[in-house]
Amino acid sequence: MAEPRSEEDLIRYFCTAGNGMEPFLMEEVKKKLAAEDVCQLPGKVLFSSSAGIDKISDLKAAERLFLLLKQDSPLRISAHTSSAKAASVLQYRLLGDKNQWTGAVMTWSRLQGELAGSRTTARTPSSALGLMIKIEEGRGSRGKEEEEGSCLVESRKSPEEQREEENGNERLKSGEQNGTRTLEKKRKRNHEEEEEEAERKNVEKGKSAERGRRREEEAETGMDVEFNSYHGTDVNQSTTDLENNVESSSRTMDFTERLQNVNTCGDKDQTPLIVGKSKPELSSSIPVSFRISCKCTGSLSRCFSAQEVSSVMGAGLSRLLGWKVDLKNPQLEINVYLGDDLCLLGIPLTRSPLAKRSYIKTTGLRSTVAWAMTCLAHIQPGSRVIDPMCGAGTILIEAAQEHEAACFLGLDIDDGQLQKASENTAFAELGHRIHLLKASSLALPLTSSSVDAVICDLPFGRKFGTKTDMAANLPLILAEMERSVLLIKIVLCVGGTLVLLLSPQLSFLLKKVLTGPSSHQEAKPPPGTENSPSPSVCATKQQAKASPQLSLLPRLSSLRHEATFRVSLGAIDGLIHKYVKTEC
Amino acid sequence: MKLLTHNMLTSHVKGVSKGYPLLIKATQVKVNEVDFNPKFVSRMIPKLEWGALVQAAEGLGHRQDLPGELVSDYEQNEDFLKKVHRILLEVEVMEGCLQCPESGREFPISKGIPNMLLNEDEV
Repeated sequence: MAEPRSEEDLIRYFCTAGNGMEPFLMEEVKKKLAAEDVCQLPGKVLFSSSAGIDKISDLKAAERLFLLLKQDSPLRISAHTSSAKAASVLQYRLLGDKNQWTGAVMTWSRLQGELAGSRTTARTPSSALGLMIKIEEGRGSRGKEEEEGSCLVESRKSPEEQREEENGNERLKSGEQNGTRTLEKKRKRNHEEEEEEAERKNVEKGKSAERGRRREEEAETGMDVEFNSYHGTDVNQSTTDLENNVESSSRTMDFTERLQNVNTCGDKDQTPLIVGKSKPELSSSIPVSFRISCKCTGSLSRCFSAQEVSSVMGAGLSRLLGWKVDLKNPQLEINVYLGDDLCLLGIPLTRSPLAKRSYIKTTGLRSTVAWAMTCLAHIQPGSRVIDPMCGAGTILIEAAQEHEAACFLGLDIDDGQLQKASENTAFAELGHRIHLLKASSLALPLTSSSVDAVICDLPFGRKFGTKTDMAANLPLILAEMERSVLLIKIVLCVGGTLVLLLSPQLSFLLKKVLTGPSSHQEAKPPPGTENSPSPSVCATKQQAKASPQLSLLPRLSSLRHEATFRVSLGAIDGLIHKYVKTEC
Repeated sequence: MKLLTHNMLTSHVKGVSKGYPLLIKATQVKVNEVDFNPKFVSRMIPKLEWGALVQAAEGLGHRQDLPGELVSDYEQNEDFLKKVHRILLEVEVMEGCLQCPESGREFPISKGIPNMLLNEDEV
């Protein structure tokens, strides 16, 4: 992007994150988005950034992404307050100023447009985004690039102000600008980042040209905002015919909002375009439809249920802005979080969570956790990274997406898993950088010191249903784990990193195995294996290959433990451990 | 199986002291087009067993004019990097087998994926 962004372009967002992922997400937003004012809360990270929305929606450690609508100190309502009083406090505190809402919705709308614009030619399956295409009137066939929708938005100030702010803000484009570029051309250039800015301008240019064509008169004063309805492609695809005019008694100018009718474009649907007329109207018409989802935790949940909050707020918002509640198929979703720590209101920016990757077909491990593991592995250009128990390949795919100049090898003993990994790799178009091997982690067919990083989700123990099963098989599990780690250590280069994901129970056992008894000379065989004579500390690698006894524990001590992170894997927790191989 | 992978593979059959490099017996070889990333190639080269790479390339009939010894100052030599790129990432053995140079044990390659699993008695 050529233009530096001004201060006004700083937008505040928040993301939800799985337990334990917050520090990773904080690092990520700071590093990738130059985020400011980063705050961490349990399960959430708030930040401000002026980065493009396509970069923001590319965050790997986040669950969902929201545009921050309002952040406030927690509500304090005693349980004795009457429900009427409580409702009014709620409305007062949460609804607040009309302009804040309309402003936020405009920003949201604009971001939707940018998001759609930058993703039209991406591999994203259309259902993932679920946005609609707006086709300029009079255009015939759409190019094949338009597989997914885009929600186009333009906000304009009066012509005078437009000219002033032309350079700074891509939001405000004058209608006089050259509107020769077409939507089709715009879409073809989507991949180039420096075009991103230009594209947004083109969108607006294209639209202004179109508007110029359709009508001669333009409101001389006032801000025209158009935003399109926002539907999932997997939901009812009927054309919506909404116009929304909101009169705001805002400080310096009046504005009218106009909803432009859109053409939905899923894989199958071809509904005709209806273009709304853009006349500045002051009378209200059909409002924006919305739905509120609420979460109440802590002491507030004693006063309110989530439903109550939703309905109170819904009613209040309808009154304030003339919007309409639609529980089934709203254009706008508003998330309300009321906790003991704060109140948070936001609008989700993507249909599906960021954590659900568009480039992975069958997930094994959670993508967010897989990505966090690859962060820890210190992957450099030219790194050879392996996953000795790769399963469906989730870890390797996350790593390959992040690191373009490294190569990845996945090993698994199971044909079915390798098949999935192969499909996933092909789907993500990473087949040339992720290679697969059918092999056992207990007999790694790799030369020593041939690997720069090993990242592995050790599945040991997870397949066992009951605790008794686990206990009975523990010696075997432990022995296998130990052996795997030993072999991993052999193939790792000095300075190489090992990142392991284990259950808390097995982590404890592994720790015992890795730190071993205080004396490095003695070999203490783990329970269940036969006694063997303790080898010397600096046994050669050759010896290890020839007689891979489990009692060669001292050699494991050259794996230096660096960090451990606890993360949620859904129903259970996992521990991510990072080790570095040191000199023997 | 690409030659980049082959370069790391070794036989761990019991009793074998020199299981590297594995001999390639290919029955089906494919050449793909892969985006050239010079940074990747130049960083990868020092980590390779160069002799094994050239030998493998020759065995497949794809050596072209890859030198037997690594040239110095290859990082700026785009021509050279492209040749290495081709042999590392574009040539792929889809069917065939890998043979342990010492024991003769064969590891099959099917659909591009080598099967390196050992039997119980071989471990």
